[in-house]
Amino acid sequence: MSSTPLKQSAITSYPRFIGRALWLATEGSFAFYAWMTALTAVSLVGANAWANQVAGGMITTNMTDHVSWGLYIANFTFCVGLAAGGVMMVIPAYLYDDEEMHKVVIIGEAVAIAAIVMCTLSVVVDLGRPDRFWHLIPGIGKFNWPISMLTWDVIVLNGYLMINLHVVGYLLYMRYLGRKPNGWWYLPFVFLSIFWAISIHTVTAFLYCGLGGRPFWNSALLAPRFLASAFVSGPAFIILVMRILRVTTGYTAPLGPARTLIQIIRVAMTINLLMLVSEIFTVLYTGSAHAAPLNYLFFGDHGKTGLVPWIWTAIGMNLIGTALFFTPAALERSQIRVLACLLVIVGIWIEKGMGLIIPGFIPSTLHEIVEYSPSLLEWKVVAGIWGLGLIILTLSLKLIVNVFTSRMHVEENQISESLNH
Amino acid sequence: MTNIEPNQSADSQASTHGDSPGTDPFTRRAAIKGAFATLGAAAFVAAVSPLRQAAKNTSAVEFMQQHYTELSPEQKATVIARLEAETKEKYGADVTIADDRPIPGTKFVYAINLSVCNGNGKCVEACHRENNHDRSTNQSYIRVIEMPKGTMDMEKGSTTYAGVVPREDKFYLPVQCQQCDEPPCVDVCPVKATWKEEDGIVVVDYNWCIGCRYCEAACPYHARRFNWKQAEVPADEINPDQSYLSNRVRPVGVVEKCTYCLHRTRRGRLPACLEACPTGARVFGNILDKNSNIRWILENKRVYILKEELGTKPAFFYYFD
Amino acid sequence: MPRIVSLWFGILLCVVASAALAALWQVGTRANTPTRDTEIAQELPTGSELSAHYPVIVRQPAAPPRIELAGQDPQGRVGSVACSTCHTVRPDNLENKTSATLDEFHQGMTFSHGTIACYACHNPQESDSLRLADGSSLPFTNVLTLCSQCHSKQAESFAHGAHGGMNGHWDLSRGPQTKNNCVDCHDPHQPKYPKMIVGFKPKDRFNEPPKTEPQQAGTADHDKH
Repeated sequence: MSSTPLKQSAITSYPRFIGRALWLATEGSFAFYAWMTALTAVSLVGANAWANQVAGGMITTNMTDHVSWGLYIANFTFCVGLAAGGVMMVIPAYLYDDEEMHKVVIIGEAVAIAAIVMCTLSVVVDLGRPDRFWHLIPGIGKFNWPISMLTWDVIVLNGYLMINLHVVGYLLYMRYLGRKPNGWWYLPFVFLSIFWAISIHTVTAFLYCGLGGRPFWNSALLAPRFLASAFVSGPAFIILVMRILRVTTGYTAPLGPARTLIQIIRVAMTINLLMLVSEIFTVLYTGSAHAAPLNYLFFGDHGKTGLVPWIWTAIGMNLIGTALFFTPAALERSQIRVLACLLVIVGIWIEKGMGLIIPGFIPSTLHEIVEYSPSLLEWKVVAGIWGLGLIILTLSLKLIVNVFTSRMHVEENQISESLNH
Repeated sequence: MTNIEPNQSADSQASTHGDSPGTDPFTRRAAIKGAFATLGAAAFVAAVSPLRQAAKNTSAVEFMQQHYTELSPEQKATVIARLEAETKEKYGADVTIADDRPIPGTKFVYAINLSVCNGNGKCVEACHRENNHDRSTNQSYIRVIEMPKGTMDMEKGSTTYAGVVPREDKFYLPVQCQQCDEPPCVDVCPVKATWKEEDGIVVVDYNWCIGCRYCEAACPYHARRFNWKQAEVPADEINPDQSYLSNRVRPVGVVEKCTYCLHRTRRGRLPACLEACPTGARVFGNILDKNSNIRWILENKRVYILKEELGTKPAFFYYFD
Repeated sequence: MPRIVSLWFGILLCVVASAALAALWQVGTRANTPTRDTEIAQELPTGSELSAHYPVIVRQPAAPPRIELAGQDPQGRVGSVACSTCHTVRPDNLENKTSATLDEFHQGMTFSHGTIACYACHNPQESDSLRLADGSSLPFTNVLTLCSQCHSKQAESFAHGAHGGMNGHWDLSRGPQTKNNCVDCHDPHQPKYPKMIVGFKPKDRFNEPPKTEPQQAGTADHDKH
């Protein structure tokens, strides 16, 4: 059998596979439809809010020239971490040849795909001129690479999306065909994605820490802190997803991977908190120029305390969540595990979002204290982004489950038949 | 031979609740799904309908417009004619938009005498009027900080001071774009919508900026402003003497900044903020001219630059008598 | 285990290398800029020496000053008189320093210019002109010369555009420049620059002045009630 017919068949059968997968992924119970309808409704509210923002100008947000980035970029930062964290799971799976982890890895990659889409949307809604988006496209626009860190981010995020789409798509397709995946077709990409996962978060940290005028961000610890917290939020999110899958579809992974995930969270969260303490100590003990934003964040400054409740909530959630992860109950009782996951996810969302982006601007570079709290419109847009992200995640998870539980596959004889034609 | 029709297996049927095995999925279910998809699409179109309003404000020509540095003289003339017509249409004002280029052998430098400045804010107002800033917000490229004597720590300053100036225990620090020789705002721009010209002025192509505001985050001097909404200026208050890269009416959603009034200074005139200063604290000139005022100040006065440790190399100096 | 260690190290190396590359690029572009500027400085002759032909005009006071008469004459006219109208017929008190020691005329005038006497600057012989320290007469229009006797630092700065306001052109090959004279801004009898009221402030969203700071005396307080 020559390779040509195989190629041709792949060219036509892969789109067919995707079409069918999408068809089946939109099949489900009443609860599934209710869930999808709810998500669609939330996304539409977000789309409407964004359209109003574009029509009315960004005055409809509560951002100002003093706090020029807000909830959107905060959410972006968290989603980058989620995307990176999702794929970090690849490392143990392939380095230890841990077969059990493979079931988890594919979930992680699905989370990564949804998270990257949310990242891109978070940046797009932050643009004052979304109609000029094409200026960012290399070739037809003017791409300030490699000087601007933002161009690096555009490259790594899109590259990451491509890599993950390829790996997930290929593995599922092979499974669907009932064939053993060819290592040459995906292992290089898996290893590339490990490097890439770290790079997306490092580059995103460089986006902020490269700005000398913002002492709060201008710290060498920022990138490591980003990575450490990504190693927490990613696995925690995956544990949650696995739990939901177990309840709704019966798709289960053995306890081994869950233990591995919790071990990762334990170590990463400890490192994250250690680095946070180290940062706070260095700044507050020396009382350097970095102190003003931290003071504002934790204690308020000149009677303005907008972020104080946020950050202490985050610290409380992170500490309680971490403590829970360290109890044996986290391994044994799923409620404790779910609670701990929820706590650290929300905790890190605040710490890396509102707790990291906003204090970069308060006080401003001229030391004016202009506070920021997101407008209702901004909340709607971010909710809409999460709605769409969850739609993508739900569909891809259904697809994965369908393939892995053999609800969707091609009979072996059919392939050989068609190939022999 | 391309016929790989995946069989609708019993397994997959079992997963679709409510359907009896063997029912053709491309009939009833397809109809329902199609209806939902149509409904969803319709709802989406309704949700984003405000975009149609926004689209009215952007013509196809404007959408396709190239970067300033890539426009031919003819294209520039067309663009400028369009912008003048738009200003007439939207603001009811007849304006002239020039394309002022740097004067060869010129590098602009600004200096402010902190011993003299009394924080009266006339420069702030002059900038506001000269550059067609939004009237409702009193926008301006200049902010003046009231500082306690004996410190250069801006943390101890205030920009919201009012009333009688100068207060005895204070001095006043006006801050605007420092036209840095190493501008961090230019480095971070992902689309090269902002750059430094030969005479040292950092400019923005308002028709190329995508409004990501990364430059605003990068600037250590709070020199950049974003057009959160379209500026409101009455027709009789519009400054008709405009330039493409400076004080023409800016579109909404883009970043702008002080250009040392290049529509004046590139024609040899002094900046508006300097002319408005009643105390004579402001000095402007060409640093490449050995006999210029600015050279004498740099050589003879005690000169200070803001945030020197950041390595931005400002073309803006503060001095004391 | 060694595998994971070496992999991590490899990843780290790649990240560091790519970041270092960007930083180097950055340094490269920075290094270029100043050289370019100095080249321009050397190549092109400075503008002012070659083609400066517009003048720097220093505004001059309308001179000599006249005193407004209080009240009206029988015909209902108001008028003003020259200094010499009175001072030619009155004896000169060379030691007088303030209006407080005068029993008529110049009563309301505040004097706060060091401890110099009136006749340090006014000319007792020719009261419609000023008087330099060496006793020579100087027209009122030439006030700059008078002030410069003591305020040489300010005069030097003024000559170099570093003292006093101006209008017009920075580039004298394209247009003239007008500069204020001393008494445009300083009242010679109380030369301290007057206090002003801030009239224009940006109205930033969410940037109200802090409540705790006491309001300053002045117009702001009156507007509230």
